[in-house]
Amino acid sequence: MNVIQATLTGVLIGGLYALMAAGLSVTWGVLRIINLAHFGLILIGAYLTFQIATSWHLDPVLTLVITVPAMFIAGAAIQWLFDRLRLTEFNSLLVSFGLLIIIIQVTSNIWSADFRRMSAGTNPYATQSVAIGRLVFPVTTLLAFGLAALVVLAAHLVLRRTFAGRAMRAIAQDRAVAGAFGVDHRRLSVLLGGVVGATAALAGMVFSLSNALTPDTAYEWFGTVFAVVILGGIGEVVGTFAAGILVGVLSGVVSAVWSPAAAPFVLFSAIILALLLRPQGLFAVGGVR
Amino acid sequence: MIRRGGIGLLVAFLVLVAVGAFSDQLGLSSFYLILLGSICFWIAQATSWNILSGYSGYFSFGQAAYVGVGAYTTAVLSGRHGVNFFLTVPLAALLCGLLALGVGAVAFRLGSLRGEIFALLTLAVPFILAAFARINRSVDGGQGTTVPIPEVPDAFGALPQFQYLLALLIAAIAVAAAYAIQHSRTGSALAAIRDAEDVAEVMGVATFRYKMLAMLISGVLGGAAGSVYALQIGFVTVESVFGLTIPLFVIVMGVLGGRTHWLGPVIGAVLIVTLQDRLSSYGLDAWNSIILGGILALLVAVSPDGLYARLRARPLAALGALVVVSGGLAVLNAWGEVLDWLVVGMLVASLLAIVLGSRWATAWLRRGRPAAVPDEAATATADDVTVPGDAAGDAVPAGSAESTVPAGAPGSGAPGDAEIEAGETGASRGADQLGAVLVECRQVARYFGGVHALEDVTLDIRAGELVGLVGPNGSGKTTLINLLSGAFRPTRGVIRLDGRDITRLAPHKIAHVGMARTYQIPRPFDSMTIRDNVAMAVMFGPESLPLNRARPIAEQHLATVALDHLADAYPADLNLHQRQLLEMARAVASNPKVLLLDEALAGLNPAEVDNAVRVVRRIHESGITIVIVEHLLRVLNQLATRLVVLDRGTCLADGEPQTVLNDPAVIRAYLGRQAHV
Amino acid sequence: MRRRSIAVIGAVLVLGAAAAGCGKGSGSGGDSDKPIVVGSTLSLTGAFAATGQIHKIAGEEFVDRLNANGGLLGRKVEWKVVDDQSDQAKVSQLYERLISQDKVDLILGPYATPNILSAMAVAQRHGYVMPQHSAVLAPQLTYECQFPAWSIGPTPNSFIPGQLFDAVATLPTPPKRIAVLTSQSGSAAFVSDGFGDDKSGALSIAKERGLDVVADIHYPPTTTDWAPIAAQVRDADPDLVIDNGLGVDAANILQAMAQLNYRPKQMFGLFPAPGPLLALGDEAEGMLSVSMFEPNKPTLDKLGPEATEITADFTKRAQAAKLPYTVFETQAAASWNAWEILIDGVKNSGGTDQRKMCDTLHQKGADTTFSGHLTFDPKVHNFWPTTQSIKQIQNGDWVTVWPADRAAAPLQGPRS
Repeated sequence: MNVIQATLTGVLIGGLYALMAAGLSVTWGVLRIINLAHFGLILIGAYLTFQIATSWHLDPVLTLVITVPAMFIAGAAIQWLFDRLRLTEFNSLLVSFGLLIIIIQVTSNIWSADFRRMSAGTNPYATQSVAIGRLVFPVTTLLAFGLAALVVLAAHLVLRRTFAGRAMRAIAQDRAVAGAFGVDHRRLSVLLGGVVGATAALAGMVFSLSNALTPDTAYEWFGTVFAVVILGGIGEVVGTFAAGILVGVLSGVVSAVWSPAAAPFVLFSAIILALLLRPQGLFAVGGVR
Repeated sequence: MIRRGGIGLLVAFLVLVAVGAFSDQLGLSSFYLILLGSICFWIAQATSWNILSGYSGYFSFGQAAYVGVGAYTTAVLSGRHGVNFFLTVPLAALLCGLLALGVGAVAFRLGSLRGEIFALLTLAVPFILAAFARINRSVDGGQGTTVPIPEVPDAFGALPQFQYLLALLIAAIAVAAAYAIQHSRTGSALAAIRDAEDVAEVMGVATFRYKMLAMLISGVLGGAAGSVYALQIGFVTVESVFGLTIPLFVIVMGVLGGRTHWLGPVIGAVLIVTLQDRLSSYGLDAWNSIILGGILALLVAVSPDGLYARLRARPLAALGALVVVSGGLAVLNAWGEVLDWLVVGMLVASLLAIVLGSRWATAWLRRGRPAAVPDEAATATADDVTVPGDAAGDAVPAGSAESTVPAGAPGSGAPGDAEIEAGETGASRGADQLGAVLVECRQVARYFGGVHALEDVTLDIRAGELVGLVGPNGSGKTTLINLLSGAFRPTRGVIRLDGRDITRLAPHKIAHVGMARTYQIPRPFDSMTIRDNVAMAVMFGPESLPLNRARPIAEQHLATVALDHLADAYPADLNLHQRQLLEMARAVASNPKVLLLDEALAGLNPAEVDNAVRVVRRIHESGITIVIVEHLLRVLNQLATRLVVLDRGTCLADGEPQTVLNDPAVIRAYLGRQAHV
Repeated sequence: MRRRSIAVIGAVLVLGAAAAGCGKGSGSGGDSDKPIVVGSTLSLTGAFAATGQIHKIAGEEFVDRLNANGGLLGRKVEWKVVDDQSDQAKVSQLYERLISQDKVDLILGPYATPNILSAMAVAQRHGYVMPQHSAVLAPQLTYECQFPAWSIGPTPNSFIPGQLFDAVATLPTPPKRIAVLTSQSGSAAFVSDGFGDDKSGALSIAKERGLDVVADIHYPPTTTDWAPIAAQVRDADPDLVIDNGLGVDAANILQAMAQLNYRPKQMFGLFPAPGPLLALGDEAEGMLSVSMFEPNKPTLDKLGPEATEITADFTKRAQAAKLPYTVFETQAAASWNAWEILIDGVKNSGGTDQRKMCDTLHQKGADTTFSGHLTFDPKVHNFWPTTQSIKQIQNGDWVTVWPADRAAAPLQGPRS
């Protein structure tokens, strides 16, 4: 029973991991930018949700009306900056790390380093759940899973079916050739940066529903999110989703049957194994890259 | 230069030792010793990181693993089991060395490990170790460990002095190691790995061994410094040593200072540690991270090579700025203290070096004397097809008017044409000087997943031959080259070189048996001069030579391809033709028995093709057997003693050029098809 | 080539000059008009920053009040507080700077146990008296001039579980089956597992008292997914859940359990951030924790108007600093104690001579507003007899409920 419940909640929380990782994975795969500032955008998304919901007494999910456009602009701006700087893959990692440090410090200066949590009145989702017998589905993770599924499905369809999507895949494969065929990668990548920023708003909102926020939280995401990106295959949206679920289930089940302390041990050992056996990612089946 | 740098290092070390030993007499407060000790710790860590990540280009995010294991070894052994502190330092180094070898053995087992994957793999290591320490509560008792203050001989003075001297010693060892490596074969090998790893391997560099060596040294240094860190913080917990801050700061320091030079991380560490200290001393804590983050982002964007490269370009200006600003502030004595003056001086010097090194400043300074220095604008791209003056000069040989007909023979050349050309040129050389069988391929096959790139190719190449390898796109020509050079292993079959089975040999060993190759798209080592590019091949050839003895030999090879006048230039300054000549010089320099030329003429204009053909012939005449992949049948007719035609992975025809070109099957499969395209 | 060696020699010379110059920069006399400078670091950013803020506000309030009342020995007091970024390596470096470079007259400990231990080594080296607010693990704090402002006695690992079990034993239906959740952090794990060779902690004491430990879960401080822990607790369904954790652990576990439609009968959290638990609302009602001080009306009435004034002023300042939880409670009280110990040391010894201050504190102890008169016995590392109490969330507020003589309200059992 315990294991079944752990598996279930693991699957659902895997949605949150996938939601956080999807943007990172796509910018990495398509635009060749390892954007650590994405963690900063998620953090800001979470704080904005907290702030707007608390001071305007808005339903936290409705704050998306504001945060999604805001983060779209932020993401697009960051991408525009990266484009202007013409960075290599590794330098993008360093520049975006610099940005992340700045974002965390600014967050800390604005909202203080103390824990911020939406009160029970503002955030009715925190403790709600749907139960089927003894099995329980927490609403926050259901929401995370649903949003992740939606984002992944949309991304998949866009990348497969639309001109912009095909153009992006062309950019991923060969920027110069794509350019020769009239694909304006500048505009497309800024657009993509914006969309990725918008997913950060979603992830931040979901995170703030069930967690207390401190600026340092951003660092805590590193391990798990990178694990998901790598396992899923860089640039593979669907793979990211599957990997998120796998990571959620793996740490959930290990926590339940062995010990929560052992979860990171098992998880990261699994990542090393996966990297060695399938360096292109466990679920890489030919997505974007 | 080697001696000078070494002496400089030694002098700096002795001065710093003296500063520590006589700190009381100098009136140096213990804070300065602690700060210097902290700088030394970061120098040691950043240098340890740099030896692997800077030199070889494999970025590690796992520096915390060494700090953590080193600190834990010292803390747990001396704090909980009463082991002498001085014994724990080498133990920490040993453990970290073993850890590094383990990680390296796992990570580098993958032939084509991508840099980012390595980075993330190393990111996972501290997480695993931290979790391991938490699961096994018996390691640290569950709450962290206090590090007892070791019994220090009186000669070392008080604890801060001792801590500083110990950290200084380890930092000095680290920097000396980085210095020695950079000026040794290992340094050259690592630089080649950073620039183009598989090229280096095929050229004869035992890349796996050098990467492991870099890992090992990096681990040993990181571990020793980690054990000193335990003493500096006094109380060790999982969070304090396995965290993300350490690897991130180490990377920032390495990148800021410059990762290709041993001084880079030293500069980065000094600047970051002192700057942080000053910021916090002025109560700018809330700005500390913002300023650091800003510096990192800006610097990487503006000067990705790091500060060292910019400072080296303008040593006097930078030093002058440092002395004037710091000295000026000291003389005025209106504000701050020594450390403030120094930090301001260093910042101004760095800023000046960056500004002076920037593109617009360079352009402005060179205004009015345009021809004085090779201009950056001359930097050729791969599409640039200018022929250098002298090469063009002798590229108009008498009686070869026909050879200047535009290239592209496979497209335009009807079978008849080819026949005439073959008759004209192939006869000019006999097969008289053919020797023993040099290369044997026995039923060699190579599959990529379900794609059969090569299927049961059996082929003998004799000494002295010049074999042309032709076939339509995707027929397996390049695959065969890759199999011969060892870049891929055959799915089945046997390859022998000079009687020796090389089928399962590592590429660098195959190179030592006597195989060399060039690449269709030239892949020079970008960070080295043209001379050193070729010297690399000499150094790591069958007989190992030191760099200073390899250089004169390299110049001879450059003369063979008429690039000797560019020996001091960098690959970025060459055009495509010159790059391809460089490829050939480099391949010949490794003293091969067999030379594989993979479309060495692609993309050249007719005059360049003629020049290249002359070079190939010269190489062949020097006694090297050549296999050349080429689309230009006209060229092959001139050159080859024999043609091998591949089609869909199998050997379609093999023999005298004109016989092969008259073979109906060849005409149908290759020329015929091409003619209709 | 030559240019470069000139450059190197030049750089060495500059360094040498700098080193020589360092000596001249210092040397301030003990001028009696100058303010007395107190130096300390706090974690204002990084992992410990959530609580570091509280100590900053409390300290500023204390110094303002002190100066308003004429300062110390007729001199103004100035507090130089620097951010150690929750980084131990910085802590030792910064204390070294404060003491040997900035030559502060007095020092105060930083926040969080690992940081305090790093700072203590520096203080010991320079013979400085160091009152500190938050390290309670007595056996680790071996420096004789370290004075704890928060004491759980010499053996907190057995005292805390003992006090908790004593308290809940008075309930009409005392818990029989307990679950123990332990954060593997140096600041919390000792309450479950004991410290060093002393293995007594919540787990062993529960067995001694005949309680049934139905779940024993250790989790890393980096845990983010609480559902598996919550599910295990739900399936074990104990009478009392003990979370020996920090920060928001307890709130996260409670919420994860609520999401599983499970509500623990009774729950105890060791050192939780008080605000987030209250933000949980009804879910956290009845939650237990330990406390040094809660500004409950009966307690404040007993302490007098000054205490009321202090707590009210703190709340005002915390609101201005936009802290989410603005009540003056344990952490702030510990901060206040530390300052009072420091000031008493100076007052009673008549100066800032560290040796004299240390001896005087050992002889005369110190008077504090919130914990009364404290005595310091070097044999037990100056850890005074504890005044720790158990607090409980009642009607959305933290209330002291145990021991009976300090309680502001009676302990409530599980809601039926």
